[in-house]
Amino acid sequence: MKKILLMTALIFLSVTLFACGGSTSDVTTVTIGFWPPSNLTDDVQMYEDWERMFEADHPEYDIVGQPYTYSTDTFAALANTGNLPVVFETWFTEPEKLVSKGYVRDITSQLIELGWLDKMDDEMRAELTFDSKVYGIPRDGYGLGLFLNLEIFEMVGLMSDINNDGIVDIVDEEGNPLYPTTMDELYDTASYISQQMASVYGEEVAGLVILSANKNGGWQFSNLAWNFGESLQVYNETTFEWHANLNSSAAIRALQWIYDLKWQAEALPSTPSLTYSDWYFYIGNNMAAMAFVGSDAINLPVTNYDMNKDYIAYVPMPAGSDEEGNTYQKTLFGGTPYMFSARATDEQIMGALLFMEYIGRSPETSDISEQSMIRGQTVAESKGMTIVPTIKAWKSPEYLAMVEEIEARYVNVYMPNFQDFYDALLTTKNPEEPYYAQEMYEILDSVIQQVLTDENANPAALLNAANTTFETNYMSEVNK
Amino acid sequence: MLPSVLLFAFFIWVPLLKNVYFSFFDITNYSTIGDFVGFDNYRAIFQDPTFTRALWNTVQYILWSLLIGFTLPMILAVLLNEVVHFKGLFRTALNIPNFVPGIAATAIWVYFFRSEQNGVLNSILANFGLDQISWLYSPSWSAIPLIVLTLTWKGAGATMLIYLAQLQTIDNVYYEAARIEGATAFQRIRLVTMPAVFQNIKTLFILQVIAVFQVFYEPLMLTKQSIYSVSLLQILYKTAVQDMEVSKGAAMGVVVSLLLFVLTFLYLRGTRSKERGEE
Repeated sequence: MKKILLMTALIFLSVTLFACGGSTSDVTTVTIGFWPPSNLTDDVQMYEDWERMFEADHPEYDIVGQPYTYSTDTFAALANTGNLPVVFETWFTEPEKLVSKGYVRDITSQLIELGWLDKMDDEMRAELTFDSKVYGIPRDGYGLGLFLNLEIFEMVGLMSDINNDGIVDIVDEEGNPLYPTTMDELYDTASYISQQMASVYGEEVAGLVILSANKNGGWQFSNLAWNFGESLQVYNETTFEWHANLNSSAAIRALQWIYDLKWQAEALPSTPSLTYSDWYFYIGNNMAAMAFVGSDAINLPVTNYDMNKDYIAYVPMPAGSDEEGNTYQKTLFGGTPYMFSARATDEQIMGALLFMEYIGRSPETSDISEQSMIRGQTVAESKGMTIVPTIKAWKSPEYLAMVEEIEARYVNVYMPNFQDFYDALLTTKNPEEPYYAQEMYEILDSVIQQVLTDENANPAALLNAANTTFETNYMSEVNK
Repeated sequence: MLPSVLLFAFFIWVPLLKNVYFSFFDITNYSTIGDFVGFDNYRAIFQDPTFTRALWNTVQYILWSLLIGFTLPMILAVLLNEVVHFKGLFRTALNIPNFVPGIAATAIWVYFFRSEQNGVLNSILANFGLDQISWLYSPSWSAIPLIVLTLTWKGAGATMLIYLAQLQTIDNVYYEAARIEGATAFQRIRLVTMPAVFQNIKTLFILQVIAVFQVFYEPLMLTKQSIYSVSLLQILYKTAVQDMEVSKGAAMGVVVSLLLFVLTFLYLRGTRSKERGEE
């Protein structure tokens, strides 16, 4: 028995010591969390080629793929046990939490050394900056827009292939939009589609998908409230304090708009508790005509449900108006950042950043970077993915020129059905609310669920209660 | 003995005590313990309407499970005990849902309860010309009894077997004597069957309350985080793991443990006095 215990202790000790070794001799090991999983053989091959090129040019580094898809279910366990990769992808809603919990580290000095700091998109940089320290770099951005399932629009006669090129057009012969451009038009269009699909085809099709769970409902609702005229958090310049503004007249009208879509127009899905994975289930299975979607997720109905990409259009968030009739149009703006483990060393951070050039995710415009971007596009093309222009992470003119030229060669959607979104984004983009956004979204989820479930729900009363909860539990902390 | 004590201490007592300790501190992550904050984390969770809602929902889960899930296995066991032919077939059939993995079993019910017209139950209604129903999100009733129904469907067979095993140990002589004395079927159950299975009832009652108090993946799969059916453990998991609010999650864990402790204590005290009375 003693021998067994001794053996077990020795094995445990040796495994622990082995696992602690981040680098041996002069070679620094850099684990890459956004490495593709083994089933994506083309992507893995591409990353292995990039790894070989990088290690040939930088023999002081050893790149190790450690595929990890960020998830709030797994992150804390990985981080607390020291198993987090040196660099990993996350969402733009996460940096505040990850920084405050001490799970990620500041990379400002490395970015200055590489000359990347001032090349970063200003809004994205602001999202990754805390106490003047930068904690990550952006992969790309997204804006919230309106996803249209053109097959359904064509079925109900709202759109057709006007120029006979085999693709449904979203503008008429004069170039006027046939898609909803205001919140009122969106309401009418969603209502019409649901009615027509039921009466003509006997099918239950939601005109619009409204999410309401896993904080997705509140996330989308913030954009609706902005377009009805007000933010959900306000700064009082007299008292120099931030306050919750969930019960503004704009927010109440936005919630009433959702209520009416559900109970008057009957244009929403019957299931009232929907998360982000549900929108592409509904759209991809022709169970819904429209959804509010991030521009980085357009591909999901195609990859998950084989939706024909020619039936996709992506247009700006519809404009709304306040009670005085003033018009507002804002686009919630965020993206996907790369962040770095708090346990990573300076050498590991530098290795991870240098590797970015070899995968085409840095602001560098070298041949290496250009060839990597082209390789990425050809692999995406060979997999039949929907390729749309990205929202650029870096702002230097030479970088933008190079990326736009490459993307123009590989974009495989009918751009007239997407271009309005990209044009509007330039003037309408708006970052998330500044404080406790996730907690606010959760409170709003509950409000939206009650409106979608209870026909007797009172939007104003629900938002008053939500405002009190959010102010008491969270916003009061901001002003301390 | 010592290895098992050490293992038990390492995997049960240390985490349990550490959880209590965490609940009184401001914890950034598991390795960074901040200031002592007293009962602030407890105050915070009871001020959170989602937590209080989940607490009330969990109480409802227990009440509904006692109503639906506690009596059904007993009834099934008594009925099956009376069956003469195909007893093995019925016993196996009733226990089959218990062999289905929990997630898969719940996934089946997701398709049954879909609010859309392609849900199984709504398709059946449509065949009779009836309107579709939002089964799990109706403003007219709670989703909780329906979720409890799925729990019962899965677990009743196994519980029934425990009762049945006990019933089959009762000597038939007692029933014969009761019949001779003119006892009705109900009286035979009350005076012969129930005393025989009382110890099982007591144990299974507590086990059921504890199990249902920890209901997690069924509401998660069926209604996601719907406020009308979200359970305490769902909120605890969300707070401690997804939101990384370790201190608040720890406080919730302590509250759950205390509630279970109080329920168990009250029940044991009640049944003990009953047993003494019988003696």
